[in-house]
Amino acid sequence: MDPVKTPLGKMLLEEITPVVMVLRTPLVEESCLKNSLSFIEMLSPFCDFNNIDVPVRTSSDQPYRLQKFKLRLFYESDIKQPNIMVAKERLKQVITEAGEKDRSDLSTDPPDISNVLESSKSEISPSWFEIFNKELVRTVSFSEHEAFDHPVACVSVVSSKDEQPINKFVDLFNTNKLPSLLNDGAMDPKILKHYVLVHDNKDGPSEKATKILTEMKNTFGFNGCHLLCINSSQDEQIEHQDNPWAPYKFDSLPSQHLGRYLNIDDFNEIKDLIQELSSKHIIPYMEQKVRVLNQQVSATRKGFRNQIKNLWWRKGKEDTPDSSNGSMYTYSSVESQIRVLGDYAFMLGDYELALSNYRLVSTDYKIDKAWKCYAGVQEMMGLTYFMLDQSRKEAEYCMENAFNTYLKLGSSGRQNATRCGLWWIEMLKTKDQFKEAASVYFRICSEELLHSAVMLEQASYCYLLSQPPMLHKYGFHLVLSGDRYKKCDQIKHAIRTYRNAVSVYKGTPWSYIKDHVHFHIGQCYGFLGMYDVGVTHMLEVLACSHQSKATQELFLRDFLQIVQKAGKTFEVLRLQLPVINISSLKIDFEDHRTYASPGSTSVKESVWCSLEEEMIPSLPTARTNWLELQSKLLPKYKESNICVAGEAIKIAIEFKNPLEIPISISSVSLICELSATSDETNSDVSCSTSGIGNNEEHKNLREIISDTSSFSLSEVNISLGGGEAYLVQLTVTPKVEGILNIVGVRWNLSGSVVGFYSFGANYGKKKIAKGRRKAKQSPGNCLKFMVIKSLPKLEGFIRALPEKAYAGHLQHLVLELRNQSEFSVKNLKMKTSHPRFLNIGKQEDLDLEFPACLEKKTNVSPPANPKIASNGVFLFPEDLSVQGENLLLWPLWFRAAVPGNISLQVVIYYEMGDLSSGMRYRTLRMHYNLQVLPSLDVSFKISPYPSRLQEFLVHMDIVNKTDSESIQVNQLSTIGSHWEISLLQPIDAIFPSQSLIAGQAFSCFFVLKSCRKSSSTEESTSSLFPHIGSNVSLVPDGSKGAPFDTSNSPLADFHDCERLQHGISNQEAENSVDFILISRPLKNNAEPGVSDAHHVFSHHACHCSTASTSPISWVVDAPRTRHHDFSTTSFCEINFRMTIYNSSNARASIVMKTLDSTSISDQLRDETSGNQVGWHDVSLAKDNKMESDAPRNHVRKSLLPESVSAFIWSGSSSTRVQLKPLSTTEIPLQICVFSPGIYDLSNYALNWNLQPVDDHEKVGERIESSGTSLGYPCYLTVLP
Amino acid sequence: MATTACFIIVSRNDIPIYETDAGSATKREDASQMHQFILHAALDIVQDLAWTTSAMYLKAIDRFNDMVVSVYVTAGHTRFMLLHDSRNDDGIKSFFQEVHELYIKILLNPLYLPGSRITSSHFDTKVRALARKYL
Repeated sequence: MDPVKTPLGKMLLEEITPVVMVLRTPLVEESCLKNSLSFIEMLSPFCDFNNIDVPVRTSSDQPYRLQKFKLRLFYESDIKQPNIMVAKERLKQVITEAGEKDRSDLSTDPPDISNVLESSKSEISPSWFEIFNKELVRTVSFSEHEAFDHPVACVSVVSSKDEQPINKFVDLFNTNKLPSLLNDGAMDPKILKHYVLVHDNKDGPSEKATKILTEMKNTFGFNGCHLLCINSSQDEQIEHQDNPWAPYKFDSLPSQHLGRYLNIDDFNEIKDLIQELSSKHIIPYMEQKVRVLNQQVSATRKGFRNQIKNLWWRKGKEDTPDSSNGSMYTYSSVESQIRVLGDYAFMLGDYELALSNYRLVSTDYKIDKAWKCYAGVQEMMGLTYFMLDQSRKEAEYCMENAFNTYLKLGSSGRQNATRCGLWWIEMLKTKDQFKEAASVYFRICSEELLHSAVMLEQASYCYLLSQPPMLHKYGFHLVLSGDRYKKCDQIKHAIRTYRNAVSVYKGTPWSYIKDHVHFHIGQCYGFLGMYDVGVTHMLEVLACSHQSKATQELFLRDFLQIVQKAGKTFEVLRLQLPVINISSLKIDFEDHRTYASPGSTSVKESVWCSLEEEMIPSLPTARTNWLELQSKLLPKYKESNICVAGEAIKIAIEFKNPLEIPISISSVSLICELSATSDETNSDVSCSTSGIGNNEEHKNLREIISDTSSFSLSEVNISLGGGEAYLVQLTVTPKVEGILNIVGVRWNLSGSVVGFYSFGANYGKKKIAKGRRKAKQSPGNCLKFMVIKSLPKLEGFIRALPEKAYAGHLQHLVLELRNQSEFSVKNLKMKTSHPRFLNIGKQEDLDLEFPACLEKKTNVSPPANPKIASNGVFLFPEDLSVQGENLLLWPLWFRAAVPGNISLQVVIYYEMGDLSSGMRYRTLRMHYNLQVLPSLDVSFKISPYPSRLQEFLVHMDIVNKTDSESIQVNQLSTIGSHWEISLLQPIDAIFPSQSLIAGQAFSCFFVLKSCRKSSSTEESTSSLFPHIGSNVSLVPDGSKGAPFDTSNSPLADFHDCERLQHGISNQEAENSVDFILISRPLKNNAEPGVSDAHHVFSHHACHCSTASTSPISWVVDAPRTRHHDFSTTSFCEINFRMTIYNSSNARASIVMKTLDSTSISDQLRDETSGNQVGWHDVSLAKDNKMESDAPRNHVRKSLLPESVSAFIWSGSSSTRVQLKPLSTTEIPLQICVFSPGIYDLSNYALNWNLQPVDDHEKVGERIESSGTSLGYPCYLTVLP
Repeated sequence: MATTACFIIVSRNDIPIYETDAGSATKREDASQMHQFILHAALDIVQDLAWTTSAMYLKAIDRFNDMVVSVYVTAGHTRFMLLHDSRNDDGIKSFFQEVHELYIKILLNPLYLPGSRITSSHFDTKVRALARKYL
């Protein structure tokens, strides 16, 4: 590519051109201003020659033709280093102007990044960059070390109106006014001079001017004088098509007619003047100067001898200090001359010559450490290399070298470095090295924010243009630039850069980046008053939980500020604050299942179902009723949920504040839509809204909100602290029948922003609140309800159900049922999940005084069987109906059966009185949680009373396990008529305090006596009074009233439940006994000893076994001591008896065998084991007779020591008896003792065999049909 | 010990999956966003460099003012990016290698979905310990 055609080439051909200094009188300017132009402005369109075609001959003998040529005209006052402050102002103005012009499309959405990449280069970077860069380059013009800015020629202009024009010409060249460059010797003051006389044709004919011209020619020489006539257009104003001055006048207004008095003659005259000036004067002058200088340089510096000399000469100056400016070189110095030579050659297009001279001088400067000059020369070398289009590397090296050298100079070289950098960048851009160009842009960023903002923005475009595009860098530099623009209040520029950055960072997961970009662009829009756009960007940063608290506050505050300034409430779809946890969405509605309390819905559906199973009509029946009815009516909606008009649907959804700062949310309500049943199209539309775009959806939502006539919504105001989550309960109550669709939720953030959230958009994630019936439906339908006409609904609760109770706590409760509607309900049924805890009482129990009702009454009536169906369903009386304001009260008994947390469910089923309604029945589900604390821990241990038959010792251990309560033990009762219980010792003796403080344990012994008679009589009574038992009071007599009645409801009912819990039926109680311990807590603050009358604890212990596993028990009725005089008789016979009791219901045949002295038992064991395998039947013939059995069985190994002298069983060694059920018999026994001592009469065994009476159904109940029991120790002391 | 150091693991989809500030310097308010910007911008250069070498450790690839970005690219093109201001090349290299081992352990977790955020607190403490040790 021809370097001249490149942007840099064009720029160089415009910027590095000969400078012409213009000196003019005020009158000249005045004439020109008639055209709204200054003199220079008037000339400048003609200073640019694209095809001047002048032959040029510089150092070589071969002339070449110069095509493009340009003159730069400056007033003498402008030829100086521009003031930095002024330059800055100028730059700022350029930027601001560009910003103003850029207004067009700020509010549109940021472009998509792929579109940006496709657009062409010129579209990407704004055009004003060129202007800015040009201005930036000009800030360093007219520096002393660069000869190309030194004026080549001087044009003095005097008006024909001026008095004594010749003197004026002389005056103009007065040295006082001339630029310092000429005065202080940086450049040769002897420059080409040219004299122009301007004549304004409006002021009259030009004769006078011609006269002056001749005078001038005489004075200043023939060649250097010109006459320029302007404003030739006499009357009419000339409208210039394609006005040539427009590009040169920055601040032009359209109303000004630039050059309105200049007609075509003036045009040509100006053109000729400049053409002549260029081709006839300036170019030849420069040519000549180049030639002269070249000769001089060649003479002094070229050639081996000169080089050596030069080197030697410079070495002498080595110790000179670093010189930062070029002032040490005057125009007459060789270095300056070489530089001038190089620059002139460059301007004339002889790059080879320029380069060789630059090279020559650069080493000199380097050795002299004249860094600024050195850098300037390096810069020019780079440019020359570029123009020669050879050795890119060299060019870049030179540029970098120059750049770094300028930077080394510190602040003074800063601007030069910038210019150098800009040229370097252009050079790199030409070679498509955008990445490198961008890094140079980055390097020329100065501390000055505005300047670097522009540079960074240009750098970002370079990254975008590089191949492949470096989007990350692009975005980063845009943000850097935008940040700086914003700090400089260049808001429009900031928005432009941030907007581009948004397109890069759209949807980025880099949270801080996203927040920064959106926050700042939002702020910028806010500054400009474009609040709508600002708010949309600010919305993006609201959920900034990763930011620090201060930042969060800042974001929220700025957001609210912008919203406030906007002065309207914004409605935002998917507002991110607060976060809605859609998975927490829970819908509670009541179709045929109604709930007594909110907590009831949290119980699993399956629990309810299993409870209801027995009560609700079976499915086929139901299908023929309302379900099928509806499916016929509305086949389309058969899958949607059913709800009843007038009954609220509750929605719980979690709002979470992601921030650390509190936010306030008001007017949280649901968005619902209720359409009449026939209006199907409408609901279809709303169903499909989720598929449509945001705006559409938004519009839809708003429409839906506006229509709230057919249902009522609840509104909730909440305040969320930092990081807090809150489950918001919302309700919608449909008023009419139809299809209700819950669309979403809306809320108001800080009173100014309305957020919407559509549930529809997140159907996929949603959990279905109620599982069973909806598992197969599409999830969208959960939010769709079919509203049917209003139905009676029972409301119920249990009065005064405690939340916390001690185990055993017994209480009388009342169930309250209410039906608000005027329609009646009937066929009430009820079931509880834990009959152990909650028992349904009888209607007449309602007004009982508790706990007096528990006390035993004198007239005991047999309890009427409550109406409990087989599976625990309680049927209310059929004539009962609840309606209107009437309350139905029903007694309940509560007993805390076991410690722990209990979830108690009660289901009440009822049917509609009005059969025409949509549903035939409904159920009321009540749910209570209660905590049962341990109170008394009671355990019983029963062992046979050693010396008595059918009597047992009961060892009761009580531990008070409460934390603080003292408990008074009142009464212990046995259940069943065949047990009698009594205290072993008087209660005062064993238990004086009568109460147990917390943690105290206590044991107590009772005597339990079995008083079973024959089975036939017992059964008849027990069926009537299954719970009649005996009581023993554990409080001193007379301190309390009547004992508690354990045989009656509710204690008996609860006892039944307890027994059921233990899984054994009622009848199977032959050898086990049930106890009920009744106790009362003592109030701590009350006086001790007085029990709290309103609390009764009952503790039930069921099936406490009476220890002996065998149905046979016996007592050896032997004397304890016996006196015998062994001197008279050598042995002593002792007679005693054994009483045997058969406690089973079967006949028993018992063989009593005595075993002789233990010493032989071992020997006999082997022998007997052979024929004594198992137990054999013995004939029943000899009832009640003692029979001796020949073989002796040694089953027992003696525990007695050998030293104890043996005794001999002297009676029959084996006795067989037959015992009827529940009867006793006695066996006489005799032993012989030969010496005094203590004898253990335990070496006998009882073998028993039960024979079933003859009824076959009892076979299964037999525990043991036969067995053997060994004797227990019974000591007999024989004294001499 | 570097005064400013920020360590980010970037998944192959350019999503940051782990971030920590390992530096000891008192944090400026906008430091974390600056760090993110710098590291994010450096991704371009990583993209270029990653395919020019077989080494995983790409050394210091980018700089912004006095902060240097060092990058380590795993075989799965997950990038460990460290923003630091100290010049401790060996330490950084060892740091990256050890973090790579930790990262592989994370990857071996069958419950970890590659490319998702690393939330393991164990990983976090280990990385911080490594940063103290090497940087």
